[in-house]
Amino acid sequence: MSTLRPEDFRSNASEALRDDVLRGALRKATDLFGSQRGAAVAQMPAWEALRERASAIKAEALATLDVQLERFEERARANGIEVRWARDAAEASEQVAAIAARLGRPTIVKGKSMTTEEIRLNEHLEREGHQPVETDLGEWIVQLAGETPSHIIAPAIHKTKGQIGELFAERLGIPRTEDERELTRAARNALRESFATAELGVTGANFAVAETGSILLIENEGNIRLATSMPRVLVSIVGIEKVIPRLADLQVFLRLLPRSGTGQRLTSYQSLLSGPRAGPDDDGPEEMIVILLDNGRSTLLGDDELRESLACIRCGACLNSCPVYREIGGHAYGSVYAGPIGSVITPGLQGLEKTSDLPFASSLCGACRDVCPVKIDLPRLLSRLRAEAVEGVGASPGLGAPPPRRLERAAFALWSWLAADSGRWRLAIGAARLAQRVGLDSLAPPARAWRTGRELRPLAARSFRDLWRTNGEDRQ
Amino acid sequence: MSARDEILARIRAGLRGANAPPAVGSPAVGAPDGLDSPAERVAAFSRNLTAAGGHLRVVRGAEQAAIALGELVAQAGARTIALSDSPLVGRLSAQLDGPELIDATDRAGLLEADLGASGVQHAIAETGTLVLETRSERNRLVSLLPPRHVAVLHADDILATLGDALAAVDPGGTGAASRAVTFISGPSRTADIELVLVVGVHGPRELSVILIDPRHEPPTP
Ligand code: SF4
Repeated sequence: MSTLRPEDFRSNASEALRDDVLRGALRKATDLFGSQRGAAVAQMPAWEALRERASAIKAEALATLDVQLERFEERARANGIEVRWARDAAEASEQVAAIAARLGRPTIVKGKSMTTEEIRLNEHLEREGHQPVETDLGEWIVQLAGETPSHIIAPAIHKTKGQIGELFAERLGIPRTEDERELTRAARNALRESFATAELGVTGANFAVAETGSILLIENEGNIRLATSMPRVLVSIVGIEKVIPRLADLQVFLRLLPRSGTGQRLTSYQSLLSGPRAGPDDDGPEEMIVILLDNGRSTLLGDDELRESLACIRCGACLNSCPVYREIGGHAYGSVYAGPIGSVITPGLQGLEKTSDLPFASSLCGACRDVCPVKIDLPRLLSRLRAEAVEGVGASPGLGAPPPRRLERAAFALWSWLAADSGRWRLAIGAARLAQRVGLDSLAPPARAWRTGRELRPLAARSFRDLWRTNGEDRQ
Repeated sequence: MSARDEILARIRAGLRGANAPPAVGSPAVGAPDGLDSPAERVAAFSRNLTAAGGHLRVVRGAEQAAIALGELVAQAGARTIALSDSPLVGRLSAQLDGPELIDATDRAGLLEADLGASGVQHAIAETGTLVLETRSERNRLVSLLPPRHVAVLHADDILATLGDALAAVDPGGTGAASRAVTFISGPSRTADIELVLVVGVHGPRELSVILIDPRHEPPTP
């Protein structure tokens, strides 16, 4: 599998910028999702009130997370769900592998889940000799090709139908076609065989409801319904931040999430699962296991500012609106979580040591904050992480720190020294005017590097102050 | 320390000093108005179901519902039909002449069936959504595996909003909901290949609702 790393962000991004097919596809996808979202939001007069409410529910859930999780556990157990906890990726993956081993190397069908991508569950299962099958069409295409998803909602957006036709012809032995319908039918047939024999279903969850001990899964294709209904055993890996207090709260998120993601009023399917089959509920899996995953979340929770990022409901709206993401796509970030939210939680979960370029992958234009359905102040969090990257401190206690960016720190120290005094400032501007006339491109390498790809506005021959003084005198 | 205790301890340590007031007010923000009368609910449900890509047949009673089911089966040329164990579906399908009937527990049969028929426990006018509960019938795979799903709904079961439906599936939020509650709005769909919408990927490509509404006035010819 081609695994990109966040520490290679700069070279990954440059490579993405040279890939015209990728950029065309990204433009199409982000434009489409963005305009559909806009239309859906325009039809919901209470949009701002909904965002306020969602933000308040998430803040309440996070501030009382221990209580909510204990209640979830108690209620879920009462309904026959086995609740387990995992401190980190390895612990969660091992638990799933152990369940698979107990079932005797069954066919494993997976529903699309960012959380299982985060813990690299497939890699772990494959190392242990299991064969997990992704069943979301886009995820499956990406898995067949040995790649990773590039967009949270459309994982295979970086592939053309020609490439997919070739891939299917080679791997499924079907005649080569570029017809979306035929390709989709071929995928349906191939995956039906996996579903028919699967003994184990593995999914994530969009929400966990403390009050009822239920999980909610949202989708359009029906593969999650199949993965949660057909196999004998169901395992759902749920990040601890996914819990919300009350069942009634779900209506707020159901009004926000599909509209923010794809512009749909509601996706085709939501499954509210509250336990294995029992008594009159004689349908579905015999065993249901929920693994509550920490993997760095409790550290983020302990940070008064970054805590807010745990409210994310993974709608993808901030990605679609981000002028940086729109050009480079998801792979460049080298992490499952891309775009503005990815640039906050990847450093938040892994530390800034290897991720310190990510907070800089933003123009701080604020588009992400404006579209976020739970009102996460992403630009503020990105600025905070930038400051830490420049100072060379770790984002969270216990996580590694990057080397300080001395040049940047020095440049800003100089700036603030110059800007703090009007005499110094006038001198500096005068010097800059001179430098511009000489040609800035002849400057030392760091300045030249900064200049590449940027247009500098020429400084006016006379400053505003100067003009004001002269014209003001004229008028008198 | 167990993983559970350690995670909870870390959360408590992290939250020291944090406080957020409970989210106050009603979660019914953004719920549509004007769905108070049954007629308004039926109208909104019909509109939103159709917008989501579902088909609707309105009939006045069980007898006509059976005829409608027969017509849908004939239209689809369905030779094998999977049935949930809802008594209503059993009654309606008793009059079907010709197709092979498959029981909801017959996995192999379900995978081959041309059409699945189930009841509906609640519906949502706001979104045109069907709500299926496992406590009432075995509906999970009948409504999912065959390429066509026919759902039989009583007009009285159409609720106004998402909030009403959540309250109905678990009155009082006591954890008494069915083990699986499935919300269905239209057919299965994907746009994963070059963003082109394709209907019918893993689930049914056709969703038809037979709505039994005794108040229904058939249009005069
Ligand atoms: S941060 Fe907000 S906009 Fe971005 S994915 Fe999360 S919820 Fe959506």
